[in-house]
Order: sequence, then structure tokens, then C-alpha cells
Amino acid sequence: MAHLSRLEFTEQELETFFRDLNNILVHFEKLDTLDLSNVSPTSHITWTSPPVNPDQPVEWGREEEVMRAAPKVEDRYFIVPKIVDKQEG
Amino acid sequence: MTAEEMKNYRVSDYRRILQKGDISPRELVKIFLERCSQWEPFINAFLHLDAERVLRQAEEMEKFPPADEELPQLFGIPVAVKDNICVSGIPTTCGSHILENYVSPYEATVVQRLRRAGAIIFGKTNLDQFAMGSSTESSVFGATRNPLDLSRVPGGSSGGSAAAVASLEVPLAIGSDTGGSVRQPAAFCGVVGVRPTYGRVSRYGVVSFASSLDQVGPLSRFVSDAALLAQVLSGEDPLDSTCAPYPPFSTSDIPSYEETRKMRLGIPREYFSSGVDRSISEEVASAVEKLAKEGFDVIEISLPHTDFALEAYYLVALAEASSNLARFDGVLYGKRAQGVKTLMEMYHRTRIEGFGNEVKRRIMLGTYALSSGYYDEFYLKGMKVRTLVRQDFEKAYEACDILLTPSSPCFPFKLGEKISDPYQMYLTDILTVPSAMAGLPSLSLNCANRDGLPVGLQVIAGPFREDRMFGLALFLEELLSVEPPIPAVPDVKEGDDE
Repeated sequence: MAHLSRLEFTEQELETFFRDLNNILVHFEKLDTLDLSNVSPTSHITWTSPPVNPDQPVEWGREEEVMRAAPKVEDRYFIVPKIVDKQEG
Repeated sequence: MTAEEMKNYRVSDYRRILQKGDISPRELVKIFLERCSQWEPFINAFLHLDAERVLRQAEEMEKFPPADEELPQLFGIPVAVKDNICVSGIPTTCGSHILENYVSPYEATVVQRLRRAGAIIFGKTNLDQFAMGSSTESSVFGATRNPLDLSRVPGGSSGGSAAAVASLEVPLAIGSDTGGSVRQPAAFCGVVGVRPTYGRVSRYGVVSFASSLDQVGPLSRFVSDAALLAQVLSGEDPLDSTCAPYPPFSTSDIPSYEETRKMRLGIPREYFSSGVDRSISEEVASAVEKLAKEGFDVIEISLPHTDFALEAYYLVALAEASSNLARFDGVLYGKRAQGVKTLMEMYHRTRIEGFGNEVKRRIMLGTYALSSGYYDEFYLKGMKVRTLVRQDFEKAYEACDILLTPSSPCFPFKLGEKISDPYQMYLTDILTVPSAMAGLPSLSLNCANRDGLPVGLQVIAGPFREDRMFGLALFLEELLSVEPPIPAVPDVKEGDDE
């Protein structure tokens, strides 16, 4: 789960986290007492069908500021560590 | 102008003296800046407060006063902004390490609306990291303290905004409410806090926690000021498709006292259960009694799924949070861990260094609730219970127009009291979560003081019925005449001891 969450813990941290998470999860069992077989889920509260905007590109002109907020950039690119390792033949 | 003189000033009063020229915008902001320099060492409500920037805004207003005779609604009025709402050119940290140095290139719609109404963007207020918490203790920049009692928390997550208003560092502030993050701190600090109907206010430029629940709302010392602020903030926004395409809320829609008196008031019995501090239940019940004496029709009703709302809320909110917070990966914004060699290592190290424990806990729980093997067991179940909670309210509003409940099950607690027990902390939201799940407008106002600590009363209305909500809240405010707090600036010695 930590990997799926893109997080990392030491053994000791994991122990505390598991204890905390289990203490919380146990309360969710309360929901098992409800009969939910004929209930439809609500994922979002909507009062009307969402408005649709025309798909028109607009000039924004603040690209530089966006790039400035990134930790590592070169020209107009975001720089990240190597993604694919070179495989030996 | 002294604090004693200002304590009963509403926005309309500030506007009057500005309009008459009795005081200039610069003079007015200087008074509030002076309050901040007195209070900040004790309460730490602000994460970012740039006096020069504030004075510059005031100066601009003096240089270019609005052409029309009538000043804009918030002309020259300082408004504090919670630090998960983007103001361009100044930091938006969310109280976290990962966004410590983040300066937003754009501005939230709500901030633009404040500017258009003439408000002075005063500074950014403290919050629980990423708005996840109920005490404003989890900010990496230190906890905010409750100005009414410095040993206690101001509530959260909009604790900075509530504390700033309660200490009169500012007359108005905005916060965000996902499950009670405006109303609970308002209750803890004895001020007014509002969660508008879901979709009333744009979320554009607000750092997302749980997108189906987040709403921006006002905090103020008086109900009329909160209503005015709600009017300024609300209205459709092409940049947020969840913002309802309805006309903005208008204060002119608020019913007269005579009309208000005809409202049927529902008292949901589940909100007065054993989990609620008895003094709080008593004070709220006594306020209801006073309304009954005024001729209101008071009906006891039941919202049978109240007891399940908190668990369902946490499933839904954390699932959404885990997905929303996936964007903080060290690529586009915020901090990146140093010395990482691979992409995966960069993700892991950046997030582990950048997020606090509660945020990690919530991401883990949310990821778990959404994982393929547990989706039905957790997230889907949360969404189904949400339907039941919503239906409870729909049924209740067939019998009444307004629901009245306590805002919080407990009084403001001591710093450190609940931080080590996450579930105990979650329980403090138990009375504000259900209406958030149903997307309903709700307001907390101070209905009494017990041993110097405030008691919040919650007014919940049907969807888009802010008019009724404010109508009843105004009536209550006048009926109960509980004065807004004006705590004395603490003794320096006492502060040193803290």
C-alpha cells in the first residue's frame, strides 16, 4: 500500500502507521450493519447538469511563472531523473 | 480607533467612515496591522503577512478611488485568506513542507472576486496541513492558538482564519470547508463561519483536498458581514464546472424578521446524543426554546443515518484526497527531494519528506479504500451511505425549513490533547460532516459562552437556501445578543511562559 501511495516508511514507522490505520479501519465496520443492496452511490452532489464550455484555446501568457514554480527546468522542459534504464544487449 | 470601539463595527460601519473620509484606507489597515503585531506572537494565525504589500494596496485605493459615488461592497476592508487558496505572487504553502516555497502563478476566482469588490488581501492564514485536521496543530509552521484561551486550539482546519477574526486582526476572512473546516473553528473561536451550498462558490485556485466536498466560505464577527462576503464570493465560474450555473446569492434575498418567523425549525434528535458535551446541548436547546417563545414552529425530527455519516465521510474524503494529492510528486511544483537517482526514488523521497504524518495517513487510507480488492468494501460503501445521508435531509426538509444543531460536540480542547489519536480528532467533525456530505449550506454562530468558552450553534438550510440560513441566523444573533469576542491582548509575561 505504501508503494501504491508512492510513500516509504521504515519498519518502525510502519508499525505505528499500521496501528493507527487499524484503529481507524475498525470504525468503518459500523457501515456493515446497513443494508446497502438497493442504494445507489453518490459520487458527487450535482444540482443541475454541469455547464459545458466551448473548447477554445486561449492565450495565457504566464508560462514562465509556471516554469518558475517547478523544482527543476531547462528551457521549456521539466527535468526528471532517467525513466528508462539502458538494457545491456 | 481602539479595539473597544471597533468590536461592534460591521463592514457597513467601516464603509461609512471610509466614505465620509473620517479615515483613509491606509489608516484603517494600519490599525489592523497594529493588532497583528500585538497578537501574532501569541496566536500565530498568519503564515504570510507582508505589511508593505498591504499598505501598497491601500495606497492604490487612495490614488484611484472608485469613480462611482457608492463605494464597492468591500472597499478598503482587509480580508485574510486561508493558505490553501491561491493569491498570485505570494506563497501558497498549505502549511506543508512540500509547498514551502511555492508561489502561485495564478489567482483563485474567490480572491479575484474579493479584489473586484474592493477588499484588501491582507495575508495568508495558518491551517492544518492540506486542510486535513481539526485543530490547526499539524501545520509545519507551528500551531495556531485560540485567542480566547491560548492553551487551547482554535479548531481547524481554517484555525488561522478563525483566530484572526476572533482577535480582530482582521474583520473578515475566508476558509475552506470539506467536512467542517470553517464551521468548527468558527465555533471554537466564537465567530460566524459559513459553508455555502456545494457549487455556490468556485473552487478554482483552491488546492483540492476532496473535490466533491470542498467549498470556500466566509468567517466574520457578525452574520450580516458573512452574508455580504457570501454574496461577493458566490456565482458561476467558467473555470470550475462543478460551480452551479445559478445567479449569485444576494443579501437582498434574505427574508425579513416577519417572514423569518414563519419558518419551521427542525431539531434533529441525533445531534443531541450522548457524544455531545452536555453543556453544549443545553445551550443550543435553550436558544431553540427562546425561538419557540418568539412564535417559531419547532419540530423534533430524525436524521437516522447521522451516526454513519462520519465513517462514510472519511472513506469518501480520503479516497478523493489520495487521488488529488498524487499531483505532488516533485515534478511540476513544490519541493523535490535532493540526491535522488531514479524516478521512483524521487516520488517516494519527495512525498515522504514533503508530507506530514496525518497527510500520509490519509493518503494511505484513501489508496486502500480505492484499491481494486477493497473498492466495493470501502469507497463504494462510503458513496452509498452518502446517498442515505442525503435522503435523510431531503425527507427532513419536507417537514421543516431549517435545521438547528450544535456545531461541535466539544469545547475547544487543549493543544496536544487529541493530536496523537487520529480517530478522536475525526470525531470533532461529527456534527458538521453530514450536511457537507449532502452539499447543504450551513452556518455556525456563537450562541453562548460557558466558562469563557464559546458554544457554536449550527443553522442548516436546504440547497441554495442561503437566504433562509442567513435570515434565521440574523434573527438568532439579535435575539441572543451574545457579543463577538474581544479578548484582551495577553500579558507579555504570560506569553513568555507559553
